[in-house]
Amino acid sequence: MSLSLKDINSIRNFCIIAHIDHGKSTLADRLLAHCNAVSAREMQDQILDNMELEKERGITIKARACRLNYTAEDGKTYELNLIDTPGHVDFHYEVSRSLAACEGAILVVDATQGIEAQTLANTYLAIESDLEVLPVINKIDLLSADPDRVKHEIEDIIGIPAEDAPCISAKRDINIDAVLETIVKGVPAPKGDPDKPLRALIFDSQYDNYRGVVIHLRVMDGRISAGTRIRMMATGAEFSVVEVGHLTALGIAPCAELLPGEVGYLTAAIKNVSDSRVGDTVTYAEGGAEEPLPGYRAAQPMVYSGLYTSDTTRYPDLRDALEKLVLNDASLTFEPESSAALGFGFRCGFLGLLHMEVIQERIEREFNLDLITTAPSVVYKVKTTGNDEVFIDNPLNWPDPGTIEYAEEPYVNANIIVPSEYVGNIMEICQDRRGIYKDLRYLDATRVELHYELPLNEIIYDFFDTLKSRTRGYASLDYEFLGYRRSSLVKLDILLNGDIVDALSFIVHSEKAYAKARKMAEKLKAHIPRQMFEIPVQAAVGNKVIARETVKAMRKDVLAKCYGGDITRKKKLLEKQKEGKKRMRSFGSVEVPQEAFMAVLKLDSEE
Amino acid sequence: MSLRKLQVQYITGAHRRLRRMGIYIHVPFCAKKCAYCDFYSLTDDASMDAYVKALCVDFRRSRTDLAGASVDTVYFGGGTPGLLGHKRLAQLLKKLRSNFEITADAEITLETNPATLTGEDYAKLVRAGFNRISFGVQSLDDGELATLGRIHTSEDARAAVKAARTAGFQNISIDIMFGLPGQSEESLGRTLSEAIALEPEHISFYGLKIEEGTPFHEMRDKLDLPDEDLYAKLYLLGAEKLTSAGYSHYEISNFAKPGLESRHNLRYWKLNEYIGFGPAAHSYLNNTRYGITRDLNGYISAVTAGQLPERSESEPVEPEAQLREYIMMSLRLSTGINRMVYEARFGRSFEKPEEFFRRISRGGLCVPTDNGWRLTAKGFLISNTIIVKLLQYLDE
Repeated sequence: MSLSLKDINSIRNFCIIAHIDHGKSTLADRLLAHCNAVSAREMQDQILDNMELEKERGITIKARACRLNYTAEDGKTYELNLIDTPGHVDFHYEVSRSLAACEGAILVVDATQGIEAQTLANTYLAIESDLEVLPVINKIDLLSADPDRVKHEIEDIIGIPAEDAPCISAKRDINIDAVLETIVKGVPAPKGDPDKPLRALIFDSQYDNYRGVVIHLRVMDGRISAGTRIRMMATGAEFSVVEVGHLTALGIAPCAELLPGEVGYLTAAIKNVSDSRVGDTVTYAEGGAEEPLPGYRAAQPMVYSGLYTSDTTRYPDLRDALEKLVLNDASLTFEPESSAALGFGFRCGFLGLLHMEVIQERIEREFNLDLITTAPSVVYKVKTTGNDEVFIDNPLNWPDPGTIEYAEEPYVNANIIVPSEYVGNIMEICQDRRGIYKDLRYLDATRVELHYELPLNEIIYDFFDTLKSRTRGYASLDYEFLGYRRSSLVKLDILLNGDIVDALSFIVHSEKAYAKARKMAEKLKAHIPRQMFEIPVQAAVGNKVIARETVKAMRKDVLAKCYGGDITRKKKLLEKQKEGKKRMRSFGSVEVPQEAFMAVLKLDSEE
Repeated sequence: MSLRKLQVQYITGAHRRLRRMGIYIHVPFCAKKCAYCDFYSLTDDASMDAYVKALCVDFRRSRTDLAGASVDTVYFGGGTPGLLGHKRLAQLLKKLRSNFEITADAEITLETNPATLTGEDYAKLVRAGFNRISFGVQSLDDGELATLGRIHTSEDARAAVKAARTAGFQNISIDIMFGLPGQSEESLGRTLSEAIALEPEHISFYGLKIEEGTPFHEMRDKLDLPDEDLYAKLYLLGAEKLTSAGYSHYEISNFAKPGLESRHNLRYWKLNEYIGFGPAAHSYLNNTRYGITRDLNGYISAVTAGQLPERSESEPVEPEAQLREYIMMSLRLSTGINRMVYEARFGRSFEKPEEFFRRISRGGLCVPTDNGWRLTAKGFLISNTIIVKLLQYLDE
């Protein structure tokens, strides 16, 4: 069954943009139900977010797509392709590629809360990608809903008409058909030429044990069917297509051919997910397109951290886990590293902090591993006196200060939206984090948008948590990479009992070294239990100790009597304690519980 | 046979041709339960006679277990064994002698409360063959005694020790506790001075431990318990005071005039065999540790019906576990861990323990002996931690 050019006019490719909790996933489920994409029996909440973690956190981590058939009021049946996008700043690039596969975007705004930073960021991204942005006001069933105010806000702030925006409640199934009609009428039909050389945009891929890599793509020009020889334009890899088809709510549906405007998948016995990079263009192996589709860029990790198993014998399991995860996540990088303190582990690169947390949580849950993670680090650029330029993603590799000509650190453009009463708090936090104030604008009488340039290393620890706690949860944040800037940076080492614990070293701005050192020493002191001896905890820059605390020696255990009946019990108790101590890391002769590690990662959070 | 091997055999007792044995009899009766105590005991004394009868049946049944063994320690613990009265106690001792080979120089101990027996009772017990008596004095401060829920006063305690002495007991032990609610260095110092003045041969010096299921556990947050530092100070103060008074600190919580260490209790710490009778009593026989269920009536009916009393636990002690027990128990003693025993009895190299102890000795936690290491008083205070660390280090 092939598509005639007339049929292309019945295709609508769209995505949904929303802030966390504004109801994107619920709306997606409603659209599926209204188009009978899933039977009542199959309908479970939030089909599209099917990773357990996604459901729990209420966020979409991986993009997903789904084809819906909708018979509109005009009597015609339309093919609607919903491309679900990740909703977090870490996945900025992935979002941009998903948007590039669409002609329109549904902008879901909470009728009680209005526009938030992420909504704004993704909306601008959609507008930049020439998408038709169609607002929808959700949660009108709530008492505090104020759809008119929110509509005005959309018009004032984003500058798109919102007068006719459907007012709906995805949760209560109110007015969902109006959304479908808006999609049919408002999202432009795709354009494309089946006779031109193939150009298809990869917006996602997944690994399947039987099929290999399943590439999710949007065809712009040309046609693909089984047997087509294809080439990935960025990597140059070539394959023969085994199968093509559509993506449905519950899986995939093979078909004969994919034509311009269509969203679907292909398989080609691809073993390695790195051969199908998000944003790359698929073309014919012979007689292919001259120019790839614009916007491709190799995934660039922004944050690095060392991952170790708390049980050192499980190192091979961690390797397995990472290998399985990268099959579906080309933006995750890892390579072996070793630490004197922690043994063998992996240096992993992540798109951002959320990405890091998600990966860590998935490893712990899905692979049942207990992890120890080292402090996250950004990638620094160091110019050496030998005129070399080196990128440092691990404090361990920080060059000797004598050989550093100058160092640079990454900066981001941060965009924060808060109720105006918290502006003072936000400015204080940003200043404290070496932020450079750019501008401030009132979105309405009560809400303010702030722009700051911030060093990335100041926000990777707990910036977002701090923002939330200082604004009673009202602040929203978005950021994007700005560039490298020169900075006065030093490496801070932590010494326990006189020995450097390599896994606790980190890079810090020289002006903040004292404060950080003091906090770090205090935290460690608080979290390291008393041991047989007094343990000095020191923080040092180079050879200079700049903070010191002491973990006092333990004075006593329980001096229980031990007679005939107590021996077995006592033996078991000591065995248990011994096992318990295995979960601590011994650095030299000092035992450090895992919580101590975690605590120093959250240095600035208020406890 | 090499000299070394001989030495080892001597230390481990293996040179003796005779099998030596200790007998423990649990007497689960008390006039009143103390607020901190989690030992098995009942305040209902109606079944005393039935219990004594059951014990006698149990002795008879156990003759084969102890065939060929000579018993050189007998210990009546509780509970308050003194509550049985001199007649029942004498009867039990007689039955023990008729069923087992009790050596002439056997140490035969009776535990009791200072307010339970009279001078006449003590004299009769001496005549029956009891040669060691252990009083649960706990404190010589009446306020502290009341807090503990004891039925006796400090005056009762002083009188009891004197009466037992007059009646002919030449080996008297008293229990003293530290770490009590509201206890200060001064009050403990006074108790110890007065205790020393009574000239007991043996003093057990225990730290209060809040056990689950006791009234103290219920009210633990309201008790004015010493903090870690004061607890340690009290212990070190006691150890210092008793040692200066001529008592040797031979076990974490036990002090004795030279040669008058508790031979029965040393069995436990030296991993020698013992058999326990009665509910909640434990045994270590033929490399198996087992305990009898804490149920007086269950014990009486089973034994009277000619059955084995129910066991709450039973565990063979494999050689690997014996090594752990040796480490755990030898470090409680002032004789410490012995290189030759370690190497000969367990076939292990002493290299790692040696290194471990050398490393921790710099903190004053242990000192070398002629043939190994022992913990100091400061080390005893954190012996659990040291043992766990050592076991962990041996695993590496």
